[in-house]
Amino acid sequence: MTAKHPSCRAIEVDLVVTATGDAESRSAERVHRHLDGCAPCREEFGRYRAVDQVARGLRAVPAPEAVAQSRAGLESRLADLRQRRVAYRIFPSPLGHILVGRSEHGIALVEYLGGGTTLRASRLGRLEGVEAVEGGPELEGLQRELIEYIGGARRDLDWTLDWRLTTSDFSRKVLQATAAIPYGAVASYAGVARRIGRPSAVRAVAQALRWNPLPIVVPCHRVIGTSGRLTGYAGDKLGLKQRLLSVEGIKLRAARRDFSVVRDAMYALDEGEVAYCLPTCGSIGTRSLAKLTLFASRESAEARGLRPCTDCRPDLHPLPAA
Amino acid sequence: MGLAPFETVVASHHAEIYRYLLRLTSRSGDADDLSQETFLRAYRAWESLGDGANVRAWLFTIATNLARNYFRSESRRRRAYAGVSDVRTDVDPASPEEERRFRETRVLVERVVDGLPLKQRLAFVLRKLHDLEYEAIGRSLKCSPESARAHVFQALKKIRLGLNGHELPMMESVR
Repeated sequence: MTAKHPSCRAIEVDLVVTATGDAESRSAERVHRHLDGCAPCREEFGRYRAVDQVARGLRAVPAPEAVAQSRAGLESRLADLRQRRVAYRIFPSPLGHILVGRSEHGIALVEYLGGGTTLRASRLGRLEGVEAVEGGPELEGLQRELIEYIGGARRDLDWTLDWRLTTSDFSRKVLQATAAIPYGAVASYAGVARRIGRPSAVRAVAQALRWNPLPIVVPCHRVIGTSGRLTGYAGDKLGLKQRLLSVEGIKLRAARRDFSVVRDAMYALDEGEVAYCLPTCGSIGTRSLAKLTLFASRESAEARGLRPCTDCRPDLHPLPAA
Repeated sequence: MGLAPFETVVASHHAEIYRYLLRLTSRSGDADDLSQETFLRAYRAWESLGDGANVRAWLFTIATNLARNYFRSESRRRRAYAGVSDVRTDVDPASPEEERRFRETRVLVERVVDGLPLKQRLAFVLRKLHDLEYEAIGRSLKCSPESARAHVFQALKKIRLGLNGHELPMMESVR
């Protein structure tokens, strides 16, 4: 190439961007003034114009069928992903950080994160077939309701549940029977086993509850030992169980590294009955907890449609309030 | 759950992202894979994308990252540029003679473009074939808008040099 005149060199960048439609009006004016007096640059300008035009013509025009096919493939993968997707939210609570996960079918996971505050502390990220995504503000309502519930300001969580993270049909039955234990009441592991028609599967019931993917909302904290002791909760979180039960008004006393429900401070419902009794009614006081549901208050019993026993008349002789 | 709007994102942008990736890879199978992957990634990040975000530019950024990973495998790159191209382009020629010249020029330009350093090539394609703003191109390439501009400029110069001695199709007068 022959050496360029300095004024041509000085204007080269502006010339290229002007010819290819990328210049601001001031530099375009400068370029055009230069072109008026410079034939080689005029030619150069024309060539860049052509380059730009040809370049824009490089736009790919794919076969419409190929695009449609790719789109269809994408849609089906998205549908699959949506099925597996669980949007989660992690937030601090009086019980430590909690993760709540929701799929398109409902709430799929509630998890105590212990000392953790991120997804890494959760099993959600490690579950096979689950696509964990951080949820947006649409999960704030769940957080608010759960916090209210833990604080005692709310008595029910009217959430649609997605049971797919339960590990077996047996677990699901256990959890569904547990979900039927009302607010302010406790039943025993043996009692839950009886309710699902497997009275001897007490240990299996305890295991299923230990892996409850939906604690709090499926109230496994309301399931205790037949001795009246709390015995365990979510592995090693007995303190949380005690706390949740206390919020519901269940009377507890400390008992050797555990807590025990105070049976004679609670109303009792015998298996198969529709009337609740004072703890002193008939043989109630000596019945195994496998057959009883205990209520902290008359309100919690009557909220379930139970009526007072006509023999012991808990309505006339209520237990002293705590 | 922000799901319905994502379907509109697919409807509005899938075809263009597919075209972009086909231009880069020259193979419809790769354009298919990479465009699907682009949207699956976008779907996963959709919830955390801010409200006022430029969705189109964001999709191009994801697609560009995937394309860069794709080209990182050198053998693929060679195959893409030597192999049979699935790319057809649109021409609107004034006359048969013009058309012939246009096609010849296009082949030359295509060859230069495919041989450009990757960043220049990506910047060039994003700017000239998809009219993205330099701001967005910079974000896609993880560089400043000025560098993006410089990449496009370098690309144009190289194409222009590649056409030295070649008779170009007639364009409308300089002014």
